[in-house]
Amino acid sequence: MKKLIGATAALLMGGATMAYAQTQIEGGTEADMVLLPKFLGILVFDQANEGAQEAHAELENPGELQFVGPTPENSVAGQIELMTTATTQGVAAVMLSNNAGDQIAPAASAAQEAGTRVVTWDSPIPGGEGEDIFVAQVDFGSIGVVMADMAHSILDGSGQMAVLSATPDAANQNAWIASMEEALASDEKYADIELVDIVYGDDQSEVSYNRALALVDQYPDLGLIMSPTTVGIQAAAKAMQDEGLCDDTKVSGLGLPAEMVSYTMNGCAPEFALWDFRDLGYLTYYTAYGLATGQLTGEIGESFTAGRMGDYTIEEDPGREGAKRVLMGPFTVYNSENVEAAAQ
Amino acid sequence: MRAMLARLQSWEGFLTCVVIFVILYNTALTPQFMTMGNQINLFQLSIEKVIVAVAMTFVIVNAEIDLSVGSMMGLAACAFGWLVQQGVPAGAAIPLVLLIGAAGGAFNAYFITRVGLPSLVVTLATLIGFRGLARVLVEDRGITDFPDWFDRLGQQGLIGPFPLSLIVFALLIVAGHVLLAHTGFGRRTYVIGTNREVAEYAGIDTARHKQILFVASGTIAALAGLLYAARVGAVRGDVAFGFELDIITIVLLGGVSIFGGVGTMIGTALSILLVLNLRNGMALMNITGHIQTGVIGVLLIASVIVPRLSLRRRRQEAAP
Repeated sequence: MKKLIGATAALLMGGATMAYAQTQIEGGTEADMVLLPKFLGILVFDQANEGAQEAHAELENPGELQFVGPTPENSVAGQIELMTTATTQGVAAVMLSNNAGDQIAPAASAAQEAGTRVVTWDSPIPGGEGEDIFVAQVDFGSIGVVMADMAHSILDGSGQMAVLSATPDAANQNAWIASMEEALASDEKYADIELVDIVYGDDQSEVSYNRALALVDQYPDLGLIMSPTTVGIQAAAKAMQDEGLCDDTKVSGLGLPAEMVSYTMNGCAPEFALWDFRDLGYLTYYTAYGLATGQLTGEIGESFTAGRMGDYTIEEDPGREGAKRVLMGPFTVYNSENVEAAAQ
Repeated sequence: MRAMLARLQSWEGFLTCVVIFVILYNTALTPQFMTMGNQINLFQLSIEKVIVAVAMTFVIVNAEIDLSVGSMMGLAACAFGWLVQQGVPAGAAIPLVLLIGAAGGAFNAYFITRVGLPSLVVTLATLIGFRGLARVLVEDRGITDFPDWFDRLGQQGLIGPFPLSLIVFALLIVAGHVLLAHTGFGRRTYVIGTNREVAEYAGIDTARHKQILFVASGTIAALAGLLYAARVGAVRGDVAFGFELDIITIVLLGGVSIFGGVGTMIGTALSILLVLNLRNGMALMNITGHIQTGVIGVLLIASVIVPRLSLRRRRQEAAP
C-alpha cells in the first residue's frame, strides 16, 4: 500500500522538478556488494546480514553479496584491510558498520576514488570523509530521550545511574550518551537522576560483566546501569542476576529481545529499547544498491522507495556537519508486555 | 646437486617453495592479485608490523624477547597526536617521539641488563605500561588533525607509487641482513644468543649489546607507530593493539629460534612474503579472518616441527 502511495505521488508530481521525484529502486542490475560489520560473531550483525540477503534476493542482483568482517581482537586493522581488499576487488559498494573511527577514512576515500560506493550503517565515519551516506537506525537525539525516559520510569524519578558503554571511541555510543546527558539536563523531571559514571566493556561479554559488578561495588546506592550496547546490557543483566542484585540495581539500555527476554520477565531489566537490525540491513542494502547502480545520486533531498520498508529521503546529518544520512527510525521500547512476542 | 637438496631441506628452502606456490596460486585464482596497486597495498597494510619484525629478529636471535613493541607503536602514535594537538609543529614532534621510543627501549634494557630480570617479564610489564600511557595521553578520543604533508607521506607514493614506509622497510631489511650476516655486531648477536656465559668469557660486553638492541627495538617501534599514524591519518588509544603477537609470529615462522642463536634475516624476509601473500590471497578470495589466523597458526606449528624432523633424520643417517 505504501509503495502504491509512493508511486501515485511520483506520478502526480511527474511534471514537477526532478528533485522531488520518488526513485523506485529497481533490481536486476549486477553489482557486487560487501557487508562489513564491526566484527564477526555478534547476533545483531548476523541479523543485519539476513536483512541485506533478503534485499539482495528481492532485487535479483546477479552480483555477489559478501558478508566479511574482522576478528574482534583485530577489528580496526581488519576493517581497514577489508576495505582495501574490497577496493582491489572492484566491488560496487561497501556497507560498513565502522569501528575504526577516522582511521578508516583514508581507505574509504581510496575506495570511493576507485569507484566503490561507501555506505555506513549502525556506526558512521565520525568526520564523514570517505562516506557517501550513513543509514542511521534512529535519530541520535531521540535515543537520548528514550534512555532518559526509561531511566526515569525505572528509577521512579530519582536515583543514581551509571552508563556501561562499548568502546570509548565508538562514534554511535558517544553520540547517544551525549544526547542522553543533554536530555537529562533539559527537563526538570530528570533533576533527581544522577549520572555517576561512564565505563567501557569493550563490547565483550566478560569485560562488560566485570565492569558492571565493579560499578555496584563502587556505588553502593546505584539504582540503574544504562548500557546502550546489546553486549553490555546482556552482560550487566546477567551479572546482576548472578549476584542477586536485581532488587537494588536494575539494567536498561539497548538490547535484543531474544537475548533479554528472561531478564525482562524476572525484573532485572524491566525496560529496554532497540530497532530491528534486519530492517537496518535491508534498508542499507537498498540505499547502497541504489547508489551503486546509479539509480540514486546521493544528493540531499533525493527520495526513494526501499521495497517493503517504504519511502525514505536523503537528508543532512544533524550530528555531523557536511555528512548525509537516511533515517530509519523509530524506536521500540520493550517491557514484560511485548518482549516475549518480539523474542520469537 | 646434493648441496641444493640440502638447501631445500632447510627451513628457508621450504619457505621459498611455499612462497612461490602461494604467489602462483594467488595469481592463477585472483586476477587482481598481480597488479601493482595490490602488491603495494599488500605490503602497505602490514608495513608497520614488518618494519618492527626486522628489529625483533635481532632481539630473538639474541635469546631475548620484546613484547612491548605493539604498545610502543601505540604510545608513539598517541604521543605524536597529543604533541600536535598541544601545538607542537609536526616536524618537531617526530624526533621527540623517536626519543620516546629510544627511552622506552632503554627503560626495558635497564631492567633486563642491570637488574637482571627476564625480558619476557620486563617487556610484558611495559606492554601494559606503554599502552596505559598511550590511553592516558589521548583520553579515549581519536585525534585526526595532522598536517596535510604528514598524511600524504603515509598515504601516497613518495618515489613513483612507492610510499615512504615501503622504502623505509626495504632499506631496513637490507641493512638488517648485512648487519646480522656480515659484521662483527651480527656475529656477537649470535654468540650471545647461543650461550651468554661463553660470550661473557670471550670478552663480549653482553649487557651493552643487549642495551643497543632494546633501544633500537623501541626506536624502530616508535618509527613504525608514526608511520601508522600517517597511513590512517588518525590515532587513538588502541593503535597497534596486539601487533606484538603478529610480529613475533612472523619472526618465528621465518625460522628464528625462540631459544636464540639461530635464524637469518632472509628467513624473516621469506616469512614476511609468505604471511602477507597468504593473507592477501585469502582476503581476495573472501576467506574470513578466523580461517586466515588458523592457517597462519598451522604454519607456525610446522615451523617448529619441520626443522626438528629434518634434524632427527640427519642424526639417524649419521648414526650408523
